Amino acid sequence: MPVSVKTYAGVEEAARALSASRSARFFGGGTLVMRALNEGTQAFDTVIRVTDPALRQVKPEGDRLTIGAGVTMAAVLANRDLAFLHPVARSIGGPAVRTMATIGGNLFAACPYGDFTVALLALDGAVTIAGGGRALNLDDFLKVRDREPRVIVTSVTITRPRDAQAFRFHKVSRIKPKGISVLSIAAHLPQSGGRVNNARVAYGAMGPTPLRVTGVERALEGRSLDASGIAPALAAATERLDPPTDALASSWYRREVAPVHLRRLLLNQAG
Amino acid sequence: MIEFRKDLFRDERDDNLNEIGKPTQRQDMVGHVTGRSPFYDDHAFEGLLHLRCLRSPHHHARLRSIEVRDAERSPGVHRVILAKDVPHNLNTLLSLMGFGLDDEPLISGGKVSYKGEPVAAVVAESERAAYDAIAKIRVSWEVLPHVLDVEDALKPGAVTVNDTYPGNTFTYHDKYDHQKLRFGDVEAAFRQADRVIEGRYQMSPIEQAPTETCGAIAAQENNGRFVCYTSTQALFFSLGTAAKLLNVPSNRLHFIGGTVGGGFGGKVDSLHEPMAILGCMLTGRPVKYMFDRAEEMQVGAPRGAERWYLKDAVGRDGRILGRQLTGYFDAGAYTRLSSYAIHKSTGHLPGPYTIPNVKSDVYCVFTNRTPSTAMRGFGITGVDFAIESHMDVVAHEIGMNPIEFRILNAYRDGDMKAHRRVAKNTALIECCQVVSEKANWPIRDDFRRMASSEGGGVGEAGRVPNYTATDQNGLVDTRNRGIKRRPGDPERPFSMPGTIPPRAEPARQPTPAPTYAGGGPLPGFAPTPGTGVRSEPRPSYAPSTTYSPQPVAPAASVASTQPTPASSAPPTPNRTGPNRFSSSVSGLRRR
Repeated sequence: MPVSVKTYAGVEEAARALSASRSARFFGGGTLVMRALNEGTQAFDTVIRVTDPALRQVKPEGDRLTIGAGVTMAAVLANRDLAFLHPVARSIGGPAVRTMATIGGNLFAACPYGDFTVALLALDGAVTIAGGGRALNLDDFLKVRDREPRVIVTSVTITRPRDAQAFRFHKVSRIKPKGISVLSIAAHLPQSGGRVNNARVAYGAMGPTPLRVTGVERALEGRSLDASGIAPALAAATERLDPPTDALASSWYRREVAPVHLRRLLLNQAG
Repeated sequence: MIEFRKDLFRDERDDNLNEIGKPTQRQDMVGHVTGRSPFYDDHAFEGLLHLRCLRSPHHHARLRSIEVRDAERSPGVHRVILAKDVPHNLNTLLSLMGFGLDDEPLISGGKVSYKGEPVAAVVAESERAAYDAIAKIRVSWEVLPHVLDVEDALKPGAVTVNDTYPGNTFTYHDKYDHQKLRFGDVEAAFRQADRVIEGRYQMSPIEQAPTETCGAIAAQENNGRFVCYTSTQALFFSLGTAAKLLNVPSNRLHFIGGTVGGGFGGKVDSLHEPMAILGCMLTGRPVKYMFDRAEEMQVGAPRGAERWYLKDAVGRDGRILGRQLTGYFDAGAYTRLSSYAIHKSTGHLPGPYTIPNVKSDVYCVFTNRTPSTAMRGFGITGVDFAIESHMDVVAHEIGMNPIEFRILNAYRDGDMKAHRRVAKNTALIECCQVVSEKANWPIRDDFRRMASSEGGGVGEAGRVPNYTATDQNGLVDTRNRGIKRRPGDPERPFSMPGTIPPRAEPARQPTPAPTYAGGGPLPGFAPTPGTGVRSEPRPSYAPSTTYSPQPVAPAASVASTQPTPASSAPPTPNRTGPNRFSSSVSGLRRR
């Protein structure tokens, strides 16, 4: 089957075309889709693109921020409103990949990829789907992502941290730069009166999708970010997790090092 | 920044050289930075076809059957190539130098011995059409147990990875299942030593990861030759390999290379050139065969893994009295260049140190992993990692400054090395002194004043030991090649080279080898009776109707009117038969 590329001006038409064909895939920046095509995938033969510039917009809305699904990592790095996400964007691929890779595409990246999504999870991300009406919690979206990939995400809305220090991200890779995650951790740790209030902590490469670690979040609630304050969170660091074994690290290794990196992140000692 | 230490070896060096010691521009740099260097993939041909391979999903499996009818009917497909279509489908790279036995098919037909081994190739109008056709090939696999660890592969009862070497080891000198080095008597050294310190070191495979993936484009020329643009690092090596696998005289192949988009040793295996030319012979159209990135990483041969065991006898004064090394090189499923890596490695032992008693046993082991090949200093880097790690361990154990420990044991000009060559132009002491200075790791004054050119070759250090302990461990039964002797087997007499009976080729070619485009067999690669290659008439290749090359007269009729070197030359030795290691490879063999 020759590959066909269909380009649409509007997201709605593209979404209809996508849902109508089992052999179609949506093309965000192409870093996943083109790789599969280059390797001769038989899973799809139609590529659907959208040129709507709305997909590439970033809109602040009060204490929330909406990032178009077509915003590339390079565009994140060029946007001052997204300064808190610059370290995250810089951790994705190299310059060539960052020029193409999009926020929307990152939501679909299989483990151990998808580090940007880890950050979005920690920032209480909500996903808007073409024709889908109400926004969907990112955690809920990720749970069904691999079962229902025939949708187009148009944007992700996140919380803008009030305090720059409250948002932390650390990617652990064996090769720097451009390494792939052994694991990544993102945390949003707002504090009031020296106590954590409404913590959100997420891991990448510790399961089939980026995931929140609610046990750690609960253990941090009302605690201070010092050695004794974070002890219960560290104890819960890998609770109920089944990290994958791949060429980069074994499940055992990921489980062993996750609390170490979480401690460094919480104490702000991550390198 | 480069710092030239002209204070060192001042009286040994001519400082009036035109190039050495002076910065120089690479001749290809301007082309590279301006994007003008032509690479093989920059050569466009009208009607270019693309070749992709169906690869084994298993580490080790037998092909029960392969069904290609649907693939042949798939849109855009010109030809599906199977093992039976390869004229001489068994080769070992170093057979061109007379080293080793043919052990690897271009396309496997019987069994596969590593994940990613090709079992079919599809030539089609586009890469996509080729991929689509590959998805329609049905293979019935009988999955076999596999072995991925070098020491597991040597255990009794381990599965045979490579039928040419049933014991899973390359055979050295037609005699041993490993390469030996014996110098003095390490056992005596262990008895005399103050300390005996052991270590185990392991290095993983390393992929060369070139920017330009390996590949070749082949096309017919109007004179009956085939032109091949290739990324190879070893143009004539690839040409000779292609001529052998395709059973055509090498003068019918016109290879063009010269710009390698990153090689590092990973572009010597010569798999793409014969495959592209074969595709061209079978379709009459220009054919490109290029690894994609995933293939480059999974199938492209890496620097092999190595495992080393070191045991040092150390005296009270910190001198190493004896060193025993056991090395296991992971060749993967086929020999490629691993056999040669072991020679290089053995010539390097025991590292840049003068040690009066040295013993090493190095094994080239076959496992069900991707075959390994050349990469920058292969054979040396792995064992150097082991040796230098061990030097640090020993220095720590005996409480000595690791730099002083190295200088104390360093070889000096005039010292006798374990492979019985006198060391000259040594420079380890000076390197250590500069390291100590740069790393701000102080050493004693007397060590700072030592020099490589002083104190070498004195007494025992300058000569081969009076007594060297030898043994015949690992002797292979040469009448039944590759079968290892088990403990308790009766000793066989030590057989000298030349007395070894001729051995039969493994029965790896059940079907007659076809030839294409009227190519007569090259004398150098002519099969000899009884080697399993049939010499009766073969099906001849019919050129496609769309692109008709000039008809080519068979070699014999050309010879009748105009003698060619190929037909008038005296018969050359049969190179497809078993080959004995030739001392020209590394100069290690002493008789």
